[in-house]
Amino acid sequence: MIRLHRVCKVFESGPMKLPALSDISFTVEKGEFVVLSGASGAGKTTLLRLLYADEQVSDGEIEVAGFDLTALRRGEVPLLRRSLGIVFQDAKLLSGRTVFENIAFVLRVLGTKRRDITPRAFQALKAVGLSSRVQAYPAQLSQGEAQRAALARAIVKSPALLLADEPTGNLDEAMAGEILDLIKDISSRGTTVLFATHQARLAAQLKRRTLRLEGGILVKDEG
Amino acid sequence: MLSFIVSEALVDLRRAGRVGMSAILLITLSLTALGGFWLLSLNLGRAVGQWRDRVRVVVFLREEPSTAALAEITRRVEALDGVQRVRYVGKAEALRSLRQSLGTQAGVVDHLPRNPLPASLEVTPAEGSTTPEATSALAGRLAAFPEAEEVQGGAEWVEGLARWQHLFQVVGLAVGAVLALAAILTVTTATTLVLHARRAETEIMRLVGASEAVIRLPQLLQGMVQGLLGAVVALGLLEAAFAVGAPRLEPLLQLTLGLARAVFLSLPQILFLIVGGALLGALGGLLARGRVTT
Repeated sequence: MIRLHRVCKVFESGPMKLPALSDISFTVEKGEFVVLSGASGAGKTTLLRLLYADEQVSDGEIEVAGFDLTALRRGEVPLLRRSLGIVFQDAKLLSGRTVFENIAFVLRVLGTKRRDITPRAFQALKAVGLSSRVQAYPAQLSQGEAQRAALARAIVKSPALLLADEPTGNLDEAMAGEILDLIKDISSRGTTVLFATHQARLAAQLKRRTLRLEGGILVKDEG
Repeated sequence: MLSFIVSEALVDLRRAGRVGMSAILLITLSLTALGGFWLLSLNLGRAVGQWRDRVRVVVFLREEPSTAALAEITRRVEALDGVQRVRYVGKAEALRSLRQSLGTQAGVVDHLPRNPLPASLEVTPAEGSTTPEATSALAGRLAAFPEAEEVQGGAEWVEGLARWQHLFQVVGLAVGAVLALAAILTVTTATTLVLHARRAETEIMRLVGASEAVIRLPQLLQGMVQGLLGAVVALGLLEAAFAVGAPRLEPLLQLTLGLARAVFLSLPQILFLIVGGALLGALGGLLARGRVTT
């Protein structure tokens, strides 16, 4: 599902060159749940952005969900992203739309048949336990509920790969636990998961294969 | 998908608010100016065409010819290049025309000791020979005839009218173009504001894999709708002005230009304005840049 071979990412700012990632190589198989850990600034977000083609690799090879990202044309980026689900620390819900409309928005944008939108949206909301909050607006949700809604939005299109960039970063322990349980559940149904966190305790708690980044270098791949 | 694009475009139209209304107003002004000058040019053009058909060169004869001499001179004139038709106007017919044109004053003619009006040949230039240069050359050749006392007529004043028509076209295009540019810039501004307002939606659309077309089409459509609305309002204004003004101006047009009535824009011209408005708006929408990086 994911294959990186000697990937480097350097940010250039005028004459300055800032290496963000150096010589990263690893593979994630279909259905795996892998934790990406490291302190803030270690390169986790940069790595994830490479995986959904929001940044281009400076050197090396990347393959995600069958797409060769080093040769990916701009017009093909949407095709890659249709096979991905992405959640962030900030839920990024659309404030002027209800929870249901936020989920349905994704399906409408992707051209889903009108008759399929409602059942699929409700199915996703049920999977994250938000069936009773469909008419609520984001401002009316707790942080945990907002993150559930973001998860529902990510999985409503049945992605092959879920990229989670610190989804529990803003949550207390209890809510974080609920989100983690949901993501584990999603993984158990066959979705490949790459879960980024700076919280070492959380990473250890998950007891999954862990890739540890330090200063843009992959220092550990264990589990 | 189409319903999604249309609904997003309508939402964007509302979001555009006052700036969007300004864009519609500028498109209206631009197309009204263009359409107005087009109307003037169209009717002037009709007058020019009509008068070109009526260009004549008149050869006043030294004396009234005999039947045989008339046939001879008519044959020689008809043989000249650029002559379509020759009509003889005898002294008696000339006097009758004068009586008609004098109207109630026709009695003056009765006091004349004799008919002072000369016989003449009314020469109609051939099609393509009604330019000032061609009619002047023809007049020169006719003046060389020994029977000719004097030669009058030409196309200079018709060409003057044609120059006015051309001037209206150019001015109309220039004014329309300046206003159109302002309209495009305003639509671009309105669309850019909308893009900023909807950057959260755009970000999500890019993240979930929406194609660039789905992201951009609503803004293109929003611009087109603004343009179409502007065009429709412009046409409404032009129609209203024409309906009110034309009946009042027609007597003047008849007197000065010989035009029985003014005409409005034709259907192709109306469609051109509508399509033009839509394209102006679409261009303004396309030029807006508010790309959101995820």
